[in-house]
Amino acid sequence: MSNFFQLVRNEQTKLYSQLSTWILLGILVVIVLGFAIIMRTAEGIMPYEDETWKQTLQEENQMYAEIDPTDPNIAINNYRIENDLKPEGMSAWGFLYESHYLTSVLSLITIIVAGGILANEFRWGTIKLLLTRPATRTKIFFAKYASVLLFALTALIVLFISAWLFGMIFFGLGGDGSVLQLKDGEIVDVSVWTRIAQDYGLQLVKLAVWSTFAFMISAAFRNSALAIGTAIFLMFAGISVVSFIADKPFAKYILFANLDLTQFTTGYKMIDDLTLTFAIVTIIVYYLIFLVVGWVLFAKRDVAGH
Amino acid sequence: MAEPAMQLIGLKKQIGSKLIVKGLDFDIQPGEVFGFLGPNGAGKTTTIRMMVGLIRISEGDVRIQGKSIKTDYKEAIRHVGAIVENPELYGFMSGYKNLLVFSRMIPGISRERIDEVVKLVGLEKRIHQKVKRYSLGMRQRLGIAQALLHNPSILILDEPTNGLDPSGIREIRQYIRRLAEQENVAVIVSSHLLSEMELMCDRIGILKNGELISIQQIQNTEEDAPTEVVQIDCPPSYHEKAQRLLQERFGVTAMASGEKLTFPITRGEIPSIIKELAVADIEMHGFAVERKTLEDKFLHVIGENVIE
Ligand SMILES: Nc1ncnc2c1ncn2[C@@H]1O[C@H](COP(=O)(O)OP(=O)(O)OP(=O)(O)O)[C@@H](O)[C@H]1O
Ligand SMILES: [Mg+2]
Repeated sequence: MSNFFQLVRNEQTKLYSQLSTWILLGILVVIVLGFAIIMRTAEGIMPYEDETWKQTLQEENQMYAEIDPTDPNIAINNYRIENDLKPEGMSAWGFLYESHYLTSVLSLITIIVAGGILANEFRWGTIKLLLTRPATRTKIFFAKYASVLLFALTALIVLFISAWLFGMIFFGLGGDGSVLQLKDGEIVDVSVWTRIAQDYGLQLVKLAVWSTFAFMISAAFRNSALAIGTAIFLMFAGISVVSFIADKPFAKYILFANLDLTQFTTGYKMIDDLTLTFAIVTIIVYYLIFLVVGWVLFAKRDVAGH
Repeated sequence: MAEPAMQLIGLKKQIGSKLIVKGLDFDIQPGEVFGFLGPNGAGKTTTIRMMVGLIRISEGDVRIQGKSIKTDYKEAIRHVGAIVENPELYGFMSGYKNLLVFSRMIPGISRERIDEVVKLVGLEKRIHQKVKRYSLGMRQRLGIAQALLHNPSILILDEPTNGLDPSGIREIRQYIRRLAEQENVAVIVSSHLLSEMELMCDRIGILKNGELISIQQIQNTEEDAPTEVVQIDCPPSYHEKAQRLLQERFGVTAMASGEKLTFPITRGEIPSIIKELAVADIEMHGFAVERKTLEDKFLHVIGENVIE
């Protein structure tokens, strides 16, 4: 076991000795900063002033009603007006929550790391040194995979910290980030951590699946460009495939149809007879297939010249 | 004889329908430097890749200290240090960090051991520099350092002198010999440079088109090497007397043909032969020493260098 730990440690050493890893993390931070600037600018357009906020909310309601009269935001705004609860506006915690939209950037950089971590060893030729040591190929495969997950976690922490810090700079500490939500016809106060856990969590499922996919291709074909390219393409384009084949009986077994778990929180399902349990089981099955296929091909294939 | 350090047993490799290595059978002893000689495409690298488990063995086996690389990989590979083809290391890390990373893959390698191998390959001054700034020769040295980290009892070097300058080649040769002689390491080196191999190997296996066509013993200690062939030019009337003298005093059988007497002898005995023949009043018109080099033998067995 300590042996496995050492292998993961080695992978981390190698990863953070490469400039490209730091550039990826740097890009993440810059994007968070950009997002904060955009949000700050947008907020400036319609601020909630002490005297006029009720009026502002009513104007908002008219806008919502034109698009969708059943919009839950209307009920929430009315509740605020009745109970004299002025909206907080953006705060550091609120911005941290909003940054869950940036998890696709997180997915992207994790895919880039996952797609390169094995393929690069082949490109550099160092795979020969790695695979002529007492560690088995299986151990090396899983140490690298664990290292990818560790990187994703690190990047997530970087996202959290930079989002909170930029939120703090641009919006101030403000309130605790809790919001009102309409749940079963009643207005409830939801804490920021609940919302973070839910919305980040659902996005991280996608991240795990696509970076595992990239890792599989990297292990099987030993080509990082192929691994990164296919994973990113499927991540963005896969969803649109579903709408073409939604009426086919096999459609619900397709990964893309199940992967977006937010469809179960919003209720807009891609295929009518999907259930949350079915989706979770399907995702796990695909995930395990990716991992096993990558592992078997990596462990069995010859390491010959290029 | 002690247990062989490595045994190749009917080793074959087939890729697609092509048989690349066609059944190799030989042993390598501890403390021996074994040379793997052959033209481009002979299958040297392919054989080495099988020895270290990088590619699957199609048929046969490789046993390292008695352990099969196929079924007992971990126990077998523990004894091996290797460079396969080029010494490729992580360019974005320093030489030292490279060694540190590899040292973590095998338990029990201390920092002192790292410093020791760095010194052994003479890289102390540049070890903290990034490897991408190393010259090929420096990378070759670092490659050897990583192969030696865990005190392997078998060292496998695929073309270790590739890219080295003459003094670098001599140094590598010297510590390959030292490892074999003092630490009883079995060293396997591949090369297509004969002159190189002759100087550092105890035995050379000649590989051609995936087959071992000859194994030559090399005598490095010049004194007892019967590699010299002496030809004396003297009238046939003296032949019988000379032959008897050579047989009695030196135990060699001289062949007579025309005016010439030919016999093999070690270099060390040449002065006393000349003296004895002169004392015996044998009329010599010429005394020639020919050295039959491995190069001649190699070209003889390899023939035309046609890559299949
Ligand atoms: N992955 C592969 N697929 C098909 N053929 C291969 C593969 N690897 C090597 N070969 C073939 O196997 C033969 C032996 O190659 P190998 O690299 O073992 O030769 P070598 O003796 O090391 O030559 P060199 O002196 O050029 O390094 C060559 O004919 C080569 O074309
Ligand atoms: Mg070769």
